[in-house]
Amino acid sequence: MSGGGLVSRAAAAVAAATTAVRASQVPRVFAVTHRPLHTSLQSRSFAKELFLGNIKQKGVFPFPEISQDELSEINQFVGPVERFFTEEVDSRKIDQEGKIPVDTLEKLKSLGLFGIQVPEEYGGLGLSNTMYARLGEIISLDGSITVTLAAHQAIGLKGIILVGNEEQKAKYLPKLASGEHIAAFCLTEPASGSDAASIQTRATLSEDKKYFVLNGSKVWITNGGLASIFTVFAKTEVVDSDGSIKDKITAFIVERDFGGVTNGKPEEKLGIRGSNTCEVHFENTRVPVENVLGEVGGGFKVAMNILNSGRFSMGSAVAGMLKKLIELTAEYACTRKQFNRNLSEFGLIQEKFALMAQKAYVMESMTYLTAGMLDQPGFPDCSIEAAMVKVFSSEAAWQCVSEALQILGGSGYMKDYPYERFLRDSRILLIFEGTNEILRLFIALTGLQHAGRILTARIKDFKRGDVTTVMETIGRKLRDSLGRTVDLGLSGNLGVVHPSLGDSANKLEENVYYFGRTVETLLLRFGKTIVEEQLVLKRVANILINLYGMTAVLSRASRSIRTGLPNHDHEILLANMFCVEAYFQNLFSLSQLDKFAPENMDDHIKKVSQQILEKRAYICAHPLDRTS
Amino acid sequence: MSWVQVSLLARGLSRRWGGICRTALLGAPTAQAPRGLHCSAVIHKDDVWLVPRPPEPQKKPIKVPVLHEELFTPSANGEQDKAGFLRAVRSFGEQSVRKRGHVDFIYLALRKMPEFGVERDLSVYNLLLDVFPKEVFRPRNIIQRIFVHYPRQQECGIAVLEQMERHGVMPNTETEFLLTQIFGRISYPMLKFLRMKLWLTRFKNINPYPVPRDLPQDPLDLAKLSLRHMEPDLSAKVTVYQMSLPRDSTGTDATQPHIVGIQSPDQQAALARHNPSKPVYVEGPFPLWLRNTCVYYHILRADLPLPEEEEVEEIPEEWNLYYPMKLDLEYSRGAWDNYEFDLDEVTEGPVFAMCMAGAHDQATLVKWIQGLQETNPTLAQVPVIFRLARSTGELLTTSRLEGQSPPHSPPKGQEEDEALEEQQR
Repeated sequence: MSGGGLVSRAAAAVAAATTAVRASQVPRVFAVTHRPLHTSLQSRSFAKELFLGNIKQKGVFPFPEISQDELSEINQFVGPVERFFTEEVDSRKIDQEGKIPVDTLEKLKSLGLFGIQVPEEYGGLGLSNTMYARLGEIISLDGSITVTLAAHQAIGLKGIILVGNEEQKAKYLPKLASGEHIAAFCLTEPASGSDAASIQTRATLSEDKKYFVLNGSKVWITNGGLASIFTVFAKTEVVDSDGSIKDKITAFIVERDFGGVTNGKPEEKLGIRGSNTCEVHFENTRVPVENVLGEVGGGFKVAMNILNSGRFSMGSAVAGMLKKLIELTAEYACTRKQFNRNLSEFGLIQEKFALMAQKAYVMESMTYLTAGMLDQPGFPDCSIEAAMVKVFSSEAAWQCVSEALQILGGSGYMKDYPYERFLRDSRILLIFEGTNEILRLFIALTGLQHAGRILTARIKDFKRGDVTTVMETIGRKLRDSLGRTVDLGLSGNLGVVHPSLGDSANKLEENVYYFGRTVETLLLRFGKTIVEEQLVLKRVANILINLYGMTAVLSRASRSIRTGLPNHDHEILLANMFCVEAYFQNLFSLSQLDKFAPENMDDHIKKVSQQILEKRAYICAHPLDRTS
Repeated sequence: MSWVQVSLLARGLSRRWGGICRTALLGAPTAQAPRGLHCSAVIHKDDVWLVPRPPEPQKKPIKVPVLHEELFTPSANGEQDKAGFLRAVRSFGEQSVRKRGHVDFIYLALRKMPEFGVERDLSVYNLLLDVFPKEVFRPRNIIQRIFVHYPRQQECGIAVLEQMERHGVMPNTETEFLLTQIFGRISYPMLKFLRMKLWLTRFKNINPYPVPRDLPQDPLDLAKLSLRHMEPDLSAKVTVYQMSLPRDSTGTDATQPHIVGIQSPDQQAALARHNPSKPVYVEGPFPLWLRNTCVYYHILRADLPLPEEEEVEEIPEEWNLYYPMKLDLEYSRGAWDNYEFDLDEVTEGPVFAMCMAGAHDQATLVKWIQGLQETNPTLAQVPVIFRLARSTGELLTTSRLEGQSPPHSPPKGQEEDEALEEQQR
């Protein structure tokens, strides 16, 4: 035990050192925030602690709340917006015409929806992340408007809020917040999706060093045709510290009026057809040096921060959409009669409603938990949590919309009803803002990097064959295999989780404990080469998403019971349902992670795809083929 | 009385012997061995065989008309096709109702099949088997079953099946039915049939890189096909650098050989990265066999770069916008998790392109290099060294259409093998 104590102390020392190092390296990006309150020390995020097999209760239990004042403030906003969306927005027309009508846009502007998160001193609403998520629920009733607004403020002008200097903020934010100017985010290029090294757009400093000349093309730019302010990422030559010249990415604020900015015709899309997506070309556009966003050569970090910051809101948007969908389908299921019974009396239909409600409940919990974390002072790094919310909610959206269509049967497939539009609109969620595959890698790798650093000493000892470490590990394995009860302090008499969710809390604790063990084993097995093991990383990410979802629902349901919110018994059912399901999924994933590639079929999967990709076709013989 | 018996016995014996001799000497057409007693003369001269004879001069064997040869004479318009072959088989059946000499006829027909272009036709093989009289050769008691019953006929049946096997013709139920009718279930042809049923199916698709059965006749198409056959990368692009001009248009000397090349995007990128101070080599010609056709190709390659020159690919710091491309950890994969086999891989220099040309001289290959320079600008700065082996001559084909079967004409399969050997020598 003393050995364990030593190790943990050493780990803590390492952790403290790394935190200190990171704190001193906190780039400008982090230093400038729109929240007035901040401390320089970043607290470790909840998800990162999960990788070590710990549950960090601070900020998670109890479920974050907002004050009564804030609640009534947000309700003031929500009322008119909701009325506008249900009464005036004609989603069907927007979808058919592929365009949001001008008067709808004007009304959105007058409601202040173009500057939800712009600070009040620049004419925005200055809402917190939690309130932004709440508004997002309503806006999501129309996919095209959601995407247009998100491209404007979640990524388009976010750069100015995050890293812009005072002059830039004063110059651009008021007009952007009022919606007079629309913003767009120009990163993707024909040859560059997530690969920043292959960005071709180039900005060259002029002779007099007063402006940059921007040349290049960007594709699939949402709002590309409407926007007058663009956040553009381009390569610039930067003199490195050792004197060599390197190409680095720089972010610019580009006005359409600078000249040389043209856009292609709007693309025809599967869903979100009302949003404007097109190519944007820059030809000898002269951008003054004052319009560099952040530092010259620091565009990569700017882009990463913008992308990481905007993701969590998808959870509430999807939840809003799902709630609407549940209403619509429930109406249908309770009125449609077959065999003299309502559809709602059939078990297979009931199951689908339970599924939709459960998914909506989980993603709602995850989103508001994350938003609450983000709203805590000190600009906490919640990028993993935000990515988890995005992955979970986008996949749940696709699954639930598909199930809803199943309830509706044939009418779900018809263009006369709105359901097929929901399906089309929701498909993009799995793709944009980082595809779910890429985000899973992000989730797993960021966490493993964190855990790997902290466990370095221990793993080195183990690899060297240090007797105490090895014995301790073996002893722990033995104890684990004899069946131990894990207690991380969630349940019990003084636990943070309500006793009616005790079983689920125990399941979560068990999963978290063994997840920590598995992460350690994985790091021991693969070390830094785990980057190449994408199938392993996928499982790690899946487990983590489940763990986060379990935590969120347990925390939220416990709060609901204790504060006596209406229908909290319903919440308990949903929470327990999800926890049991996730628990078994986790057990399966963990058991697969404990196995080697030949046993968990990973090498089969790889071989099959290699053979297919070599021939670039499905290579099995036809079932009717004969040799003789 | 006893004399008559002896003579009858001798007659029977000699018939057996004659059959066996003929089978043994089948390759070279023998004079139509007279049957019966005359044959015994040969047997009596057997001792001659014990003495080593001086090798017979390899002169053109005297053209001796083979029995039934006349059935296979080309029809009036000189065409040799399936209909002609079927007619020959049918006329044999009409001409000898008792099927006399059917074994000889079947052997002859097997030899003739390639000429008529029916060597891959299952129905023709079945028709040939149908020539055998039915029920006669079936063993009727256990003794007959133990010993080879009617060996000559069984061998002939096996020969039919063997030729089928050589041409990859799969027997069907009709074949089986015929064989049971002719030789019975327990017989050597039946055994052969069963083995073919078992193995041919397994071997039919065993080649992961199948070559089409009928190769294109046009050398240009053939070159394209063989380049595609060799190149594993499906995104590789085949370029025709020069079309061949017909021989008669500008005179014999001025013919312009075709040049076809293939290069994959990876090879193009590798060539762009090549250090211009190091030479590249044009090497060849190397043979490539596609069925019974041999073609020659050339490669453009470089030496393996020295270890110190190899650029270590570094992961740029700012590369992936979404997730870390490498982990900042000090420990690597454990030994237990290395699933790779321990292979000693001989690294070779990179191959940048391949080509096939109508001629294998430097003048032609220079044109290829010039053509390559259009898509690979760096090639202009790189010295190119030609390391060509002696010319191997013309495109060699032994396909049926080129006719002129050699005077001494073994069955088709052997001929192909010999052509193969000749090439390899």
